[in-house]
Amino acid sequence: MTPGWRNPAKDLVAIASAATTGFFASNTARSQLSYAAQAAIAALRAAGVSAAEVDGIIGSTSPTASEMQQALGIPVVTYFANPPIPFVNQLSAAVAAVHSGLCNVVLAYHASYRLPWNTSASLKDPFRRGGMTGGAGAAVPESVSGSVGYTAWASRYLHEYGGTREDLGLIAINGRSNAANNPAAALREPLTMPGYLDARMIRYPLCILDMDIAVDGADAFVITTAERARDMRLKPVLINAATLGMTSTSSEMQTPSLREHGQQVVVESLKARGDFWIDDCDIYFPYDGFSIIALNWIENAGFCGPGEAGEFLRQHWDSRTNRVLIDGRVPLNPHGGSLSEGASQGSGHIREAVHQLQGSAGDRQVAGAARAIVTAGGFFFNAQGALLRADG
Amino acid sequence: MACEISDEDLIERFPAYAIDHDTKARYRGWLDRVMLVDRCRNCGTWHEPPGPICPLCWSTDTVPTAVGGSGTIHMAIFLHQGPPAEGVDYTTPYPVVVVELDEQAGLRISSTVVGAGNADIVIGRRVRLDWIERGGAPMPVFRLDDADGVRS
Ligand SMILES: [Zn+2]
Repeated sequence: MTPGWRNPAKDLVAIASAATTGFFASNTARSQLSYAAQAAIAALRAAGVSAAEVDGIIGSTSPTASEMQQALGIPVVTYFANPPIPFVNQLSAAVAAVHSGLCNVVLAYHASYRLPWNTSASLKDPFRRGGMTGGAGAAVPESVSGSVGYTAWASRYLHEYGGTREDLGLIAINGRSNAANNPAAALREPLTMPGYLDARMIRYPLCILDMDIAVDGADAFVITTAERARDMRLKPVLINAATLGMTSTSSEMQTPSLREHGQQVVVESLKARGDFWIDDCDIYFPYDGFSIIALNWIENAGFCGPGEAGEFLRQHWDSRTNRVLIDGRVPLNPHGGSLSEGASQGSGHIREAVHQLQGSAGDRQVAGAARAIVTAGGFFFNAQGALLRADG
Repeated sequence: MACEISDEDLIERFPAYAIDHDTKARYRGWLDRVMLVDRCRNCGTWHEPPGPICPLCWSTDTVPTAVGGSGTIHMAIFLHQGPPAEGVDYTTPYPVVVVELDEQAGLRISSTVVGAGNADIVIGRRVRLDWIERGGAPMPVFRLDDADGVRS
């Protein structure tokens, strides 16, 4: 592959605002649309943008862009899309649409919702029985498609490198300690290693705390040209680079190895097309829809070698706050990640990056945060990443 | 021969599987207790999952071809819960393995392992294909190959 790297949109498209409803690990008496609309209105108000100024809508699984346009009474749009998740798909679509002139001001959002495929409790709510069926994998126990594939590769990871479940547990504990300072997070009680090891096993070697927590809630974003964002209410967050990565053998079973999948494509693309990497970032967001994904991202990003993530986390563990601080400085998923804030498909990671870079992250604020790396998605069909930096 | 049953009957025999024109030959093979994997007649490579063309040479001459059924456990997990299925009781964690077939490096299929304790179902163990019945239709499974030991 000779990509001929280009990045003409570099720093020219910005996230003007981000907002969340917060996340709830219980079946609330609300629709998915109500969360998406609430987050959208909060993001638009934060940026000082009216419905009439929005001319692009980028949705996700549900509600669709057209449903959102109707719900918010957005008069006219010239661009809309409903890309798949995780959320760098939405971010990438926004960069392309804004930079090309398809539209000027994008409303992008993702609403998480507890559904029968991700929580058995949702079967008891008749208003949740419709909805999407994706993510459940196949209907037979012998299949490793869908989310089961991550458990299969976790078994391979532990086998190849002689790792232990404690390595995975460090990701869960780090997220939980960070979530303690995040009012939006679904799970905030402290987690210890014995507590992690005692948690209910779902598919060995992964227990329930290795899997993101199904939630109700939404995040929304206003994305526009950097120039226009500078005239809005908050400090713009510039999209220095965004990318998706996929390889030809991307199915769960045929993925060649943990060193040959979409994550390597993402890392190469971001390093070639962006202006900073791990040595000069202030916050790192390794996606943690499953704990094993985060370990693999940390290794593939270059923080340490293959199989060394557990040891790396122990070396950089801050015992005072019971979490990772790389070189005593750089936190991982300071909002708690998908394991503790909630299964936001990466929208939570990006929203937290925006708030950190705008200096509005409250008790979690990383002093002087100027650059964030988000590496989202897993091994198979959906690795992706973005470099975000504060304006000025 | 099972290949003579109608498409409607084939779907009815395997209600838990999504069967389409690319995968129908696999399940007709199951009815005959033969594991068929797509092989390109032009370049000789094997491909999973079944598809309409060879990804390497773009030949449409990909033919469902019987495999020997021997391989090595590449990944192994144990389900403490999962979808309901006849003969599957999750009170003992249910083993699911991804097996790399001897035909070609990286050519993998998944199923369970029968006739072995979970402690013996480990990555690197040699296995061979066998067949059981589920819902009145044959289903491929693996057995540990006692004649062989553990490979890496
Ligand atoms: Zn071929």
